[in-house]
Amino acid sequence: MLDALVRGLKRRDRRSLARLISIAARGESIAELVAQLGAPPKSARVIALTGAGGVGKSTLTGKLIEMLRAKEQSVAVLACDPQSPITGGALLGDRFRMPMRPDDAGVYIRSLAAPSGRQAVAQHLDTITLVCEHFGFDYILVETVGAGQGDTAVRDVADAVVLLLQPETGDDLQWEKAGVLEVVDMIVVHKADLPGAERTIHQLQMMLEMAGQTSLPVFPVSSRSGAGLDDLVAALERVRPRERVRSAAQRRLWEAVQAELLQRWKRLETDGAIAALCTQPQWQAAVSEAVEKLCSSTKRKN
Amino acid sequence: MSESSSAPIRVVLAKVGLDGHDRGIKVVARALRDAGMHVIYAGLWQTLEAVVTTVADEDADWLGLSLLSGAHMTLVPRLMELLRAADLAHVQVMVGGIIPEADVSKLTDLGVARVFGPGTPMTDIVGFIRERSGAAHA
Repeated sequence: MLDALVRGLKRRDRRSLARLISIAARGESIAELVAQLGAPPKSARVIALTGAGGVGKSTLTGKLIEMLRAKEQSVAVLACDPQSPITGGALLGDRFRMPMRPDDAGVYIRSLAAPSGRQAVAQHLDTITLVCEHFGFDYILVETVGAGQGDTAVRDVADAVVLLLQPETGDDLQWEKAGVLEVVDMIVVHKADLPGAERTIHQLQMMLEMAGQTSLPVFPVSSRSGAGLDDLVAALERVRPRERVRSAAQRRLWEAVQAELLQRWKRLETDGAIAALCTQPQWQAAVSEAVEKLCSSTKRKN
Repeated sequence: MSESSSAPIRVVLAKVGLDGHDRGIKVVARALRDAGMHVIYAGLWQTLEAVVTTVADEDADWLGLSLLSGAHMTLVPRLMELLRAADLAHVQVMVGGIIPEADVSKLTDLGVARVFGPGTPMTDIVGFIRERSGAAHA
């Protein structure tokens, strides 16, 4: 079943895309899926939007969809909303703030539930973005649940993290708190048409100066008037898809584990069967699974 | 850490056309969420085409449509047609709202799983979805 869906995905079949995201989100056969997918034909720009609830992440995402489509760039949106730690239920209500483009094959919006806890994004988001990359999207916009502080897990899957702030949300000391400012690549002061926006921008710039973070770009943006959107999109266009932290670390571990196992096996090897085994997808899936397990247990210890 | 063995049921809830009364659908959304389902709230004033795209992209198991406009006999037949055309015949459809008694069987004949009128206890809706999903997944 999995290989039929992967073939469908590579044919750009949307049903296969939707089904594979469900499978990845449930954490089913991740290793097998990753092994079957292989490397994507081209990298997407993965942009995460984070910030407190109500700051306008979905609204801005909606505007970005329209701007990027006008440039003929295809966009996948992965909108994460919190899941109840008690019932496991979730109300995923981001997509209704985004434009409805039912006939536009270049836009895909998917709502995902994020478990409560430190992460502000859905589990297995790295695999989900990989699935989207194989479909061929130019941009993947990840909307976090909007915890605001300390939600640094997005960094591992995104090429750039955009923090949204709005006027009149706490004084500059709020931003001094450790966490999200340390991992963002750009800041949007959203709702910049509201009174107090200039003061917020000024305070923010002073703070960044003191912190020696003057290279961190700040964009005043109003989704209502459209002001500042062009500059933001231009900045997103300059984002280079980079080696994603987690997958790079995993790859190193993968290679190390494989080499180590090979060495041990080689002592037993008699007829080259072991070397042949290493090219088998089942073997590779087993190694991936071991790596996945090791990675998550190290993460937990930290 | 621990993955629940059974995947949460994914339900899209939407309102189509010029019907701005969304209290009912929000009450249902909350009840289904509290029952452990993943509810994708697609909101007001949707077109049927947009709803079908949402159901497809969200890989939903259920679609709940709230209709208080009296246009159900125009909208529902077209919806069922669009779902079939999009290869989404496996998605179960429920309708809530103001539906005259005489039209209920017409809707179920079209393939609607169930019509829920005003005053339906939330436990009925939750129970119905669970029961039907259990049968479909088995």
